[in-house]
Amino acid sequence: MAPTTPMTEPERERSARERRAIDSSCRVPVLYFAASAVFWLLAGSALAVIASVKLHSPYFLTGSPEFTFGRVRMAHLQAVGLGWAGMAVMAAAVWLMCRLSRVGLIYPKLLVFAGTLWNVGMVLDVLGILFGDGQSVEWLDAPRYVPPFLVAGLGIVSAWTVATFRRRRERHVYVTQWYVLAAVFWLPWLYTVAVLMIFWMPATGVVQPVVNWWFGHNYLGLWMTPVAVGAAYYIIPKVIGRPIHSYYLSILGFWSLALFYSWAGMHHLIGGPLPVWLVTASVVGSMMMFIPVIAVAINHHMTMLGSFHRLRYSPALRFTVFGAITYTAVSFQGAVESLRDFSEVAHFTHYTVAHAHLGAYGFFTMIMFGLFYYMVPRLTGREWASPGLIRVHFWSSAVGITIYFVALSIAGWWQGRMLNDPNVPFANIVRYVTPFLAIRSYIAGPLMTVGHVSFAILLTANLMGWGRQRTGGPTYFVEPATGTAGGPRELAAAGR
Amino acid sequence: MDRGMVIFVGALLTFSSSWLGLVLYPYWQLQNEQPYAKSPGDDPYPRPLAGQALAGVRVYQANGCLYCHSQQVRSEKFGNWWEDGQMKTGADIKRGWGARRTVSRDYLYDRPTMLGTMRTGPDLANVGARYAEPWQHNHTFNPRAVNSWSVMPSFAFLYAREKVVGGQKAAKALKLGREWTVDPGYRWRPTDRQWEAILAARGTAIRQAHLAGAVARVDPDSPAGRAELLEFWLTTEEEDYQVVPTTAADALVAYLLALRKGETPLPEAKE
Ligand code: HEC
Repeated sequence: MAPTTPMTEPERERSARERRAIDSSCRVPVLYFAASAVFWLLAGSALAVIASVKLHSPYFLTGSPEFTFGRVRMAHLQAVGLGWAGMAVMAAAVWLMCRLSRVGLIYPKLLVFAGTLWNVGMVLDVLGILFGDGQSVEWLDAPRYVPPFLVAGLGIVSAWTVATFRRRRERHVYVTQWYVLAAVFWLPWLYTVAVLMIFWMPATGVVQPVVNWWFGHNYLGLWMTPVAVGAAYYIIPKVIGRPIHSYYLSILGFWSLALFYSWAGMHHLIGGPLPVWLVTASVVGSMMMFIPVIAVAINHHMTMLGSFHRLRYSPALRFTVFGAITYTAVSFQGAVESLRDFSEVAHFTHYTVAHAHLGAYGFFTMIMFGLFYYMVPRLTGREWASPGLIRVHFWSSAVGITIYFVALSIAGWWQGRMLNDPNVPFANIVRYVTPFLAIRSYIAGPLMTVGHVSFAILLTANLMGWGRQRTGGPTYFVEPATGTAGGPRELAAAGR
Repeated sequence: MDRGMVIFVGALLTFSSSWLGLVLYPYWQLQNEQPYAKSPGDDPYPRPLAGQALAGVRVYQANGCLYCHSQQVRSEKFGNWWEDGQMKTGADIKRGWGARRTVSRDYLYDRPTMLGTMRTGPDLANVGARYAEPWQHNHTFNPRAVNSWSVMPSFAFLYAREKVVGGQKAAKALKLGREWTVDPGYRWRPTDRQWEAILAARGTAIRQAHLAGAVARVDPDSPAGRAELLEFWLTTEEEDYQVVPTTAADALVAYLLALRKGETPLPEAKE
């Protein structure tokens, strides 16, 4: 990617032309995946708010079985976990792989087909759950007829990403490609094994939850995380126009993540009816996660050093850096949370829910937003219609997730303390958490949803061709003053 | 070696390690676990679910009870609190959620095994030992009919409200006051106008019934007396309508009654 010696003007021109050709080859499938992802994000947000309200106001929508809390809760996780996160990751994987391998996409229509398979699967998934076919296996709630669609779609996307990599014309393999390649290899395996061992040929008793959490944790760790970390590795240097801090740290970060993250899942079962060594192994894995997390943190944040003023201008950078910083925070929290003494309180409570959202939203989703802000204009040839609306998106998402996290962490911690004290009547616990859940329903959730609606409007406008043509620099929150470091010239060159 | 190959082989190895260690090894370690019988003639524990209880698993799954209820009792050493300056442990058992911790053998026949990760409501591993069938039906129909503070959803859609035919209510009909049954899932109250109309039509009968049961009473025509009469009437059962469980509700309750994981002693579940 970022060349070490400065390019001459004709070289620059040639490489820009090449990038445009690559972008136009993946325009249709990548935008299709991106738009579908945003659709599922909206659906997931609506389900989230319904579920959240029902958790403190049980009379809300109580008459219809389709909207009972348990079903909406399952549908929400499927919509945001597989619909939004799944399809956003696939959009990112395909585009980043083409860009970094410096080759166009072949047979883009096949990927459109794969995306359609995935969308059909998701519609069946969400509606199937609401109409009573949910499975109550966290992360794997999809009804029985859904996995074939998802596996087939995923298989095509994975194969295409690998094929693109194999056709690469760029000899240097950048760290983002490592992450993307590993992720598209891991998920099909992970998903197939999980579905096989839980539904098709069920393993006995407690082996099922073991497989369940091996999947649930790795879906985050070996699918969402690598691609989001990889995207940040791409966006940050691109926007600020300087190479990543340390190549060796990025390799260390990659391999230690690959090794340790996949071992971490069993801490979700601390105190449960399982062989103790399993949980212990996972606690060790979780603690070892400090290595990749610190490696990535140093790399991302050291690269940013001296460029923080650019957060004022670039939406892509601001979202991405918010996500990268949250990644460090949420991973540290996760490692500590895996400890037995800590889990003793936090397990079975909203504390875990807060942590999960900090990871899946504050880190993953924010980086995907950053990537989309960077990627979509390059695919459509249009800039974003309204910097003001991007600002609305950023602040409502950022403030929303912060309130969410704080409110549920406090609620969850005390919920856990009280659950552990048998002298506290259960009614008191239910009453205690209610106001915090109401904050989520009426402040945090709606704020985040406002952000998503703003983003959906921006994306729709962009796809309809309502933004200005991409000729000069990217869309900024504010136009940087000329002549200063990070002036429009320099940024435009780096961010084109 | 080609870079792509390095990544591929590396990703394969790292991932396989966790797959072998976390999935296949426990699979192999636990696959031969057998039900327990203290002496050869005894009934082995656990036993697979059958009939209605088995069908109830589907209802439990489909409605996501898992997302508010765990099914695991943690050990006597887990879950600590302070009492009189001393640290004590074993909150789950102390709360009465089970007589002992649950162990892997308790889940031998669970499909799927629903350990759960959230305790918005109490643990249900051993709930079958705590309540009888009528309580379970009333509670499932509308939890607030049992605990006013409950945030558990009403599952009234698993019940049918129907006209009583032949003057005789079904044996399975729920014994709940009309405030819960008139508008299933909600807590019903007549408007002032409706209440006037009801009093005009059946006031005498309601007053007589009230007098028969009440201990201390106020003047029935004062505002306080009329309010008391309304409260009384709301807690009596409807005469012409009844609420009966559907097959799904029966199955669900059969499953809840069969949930008795923390009871039978097992040698490995000492603490
Ligand atoms: C929104 C969360 C929620 C959902 C979903 C939920 N419950 Fe509950 N449940 C609770 C709460 C809170 C209580 C405690 C208050 C009460 O007794 O209603 C409870 C209590 C119970 C109890 C009594 C336990 C005891 O020891 O007193 C049973 C039995 C029960 N629920 C069964 C179910 C079943 C079966 C389902 C699914 C059909 C279900 N619950 C779904 C929250 C929930």
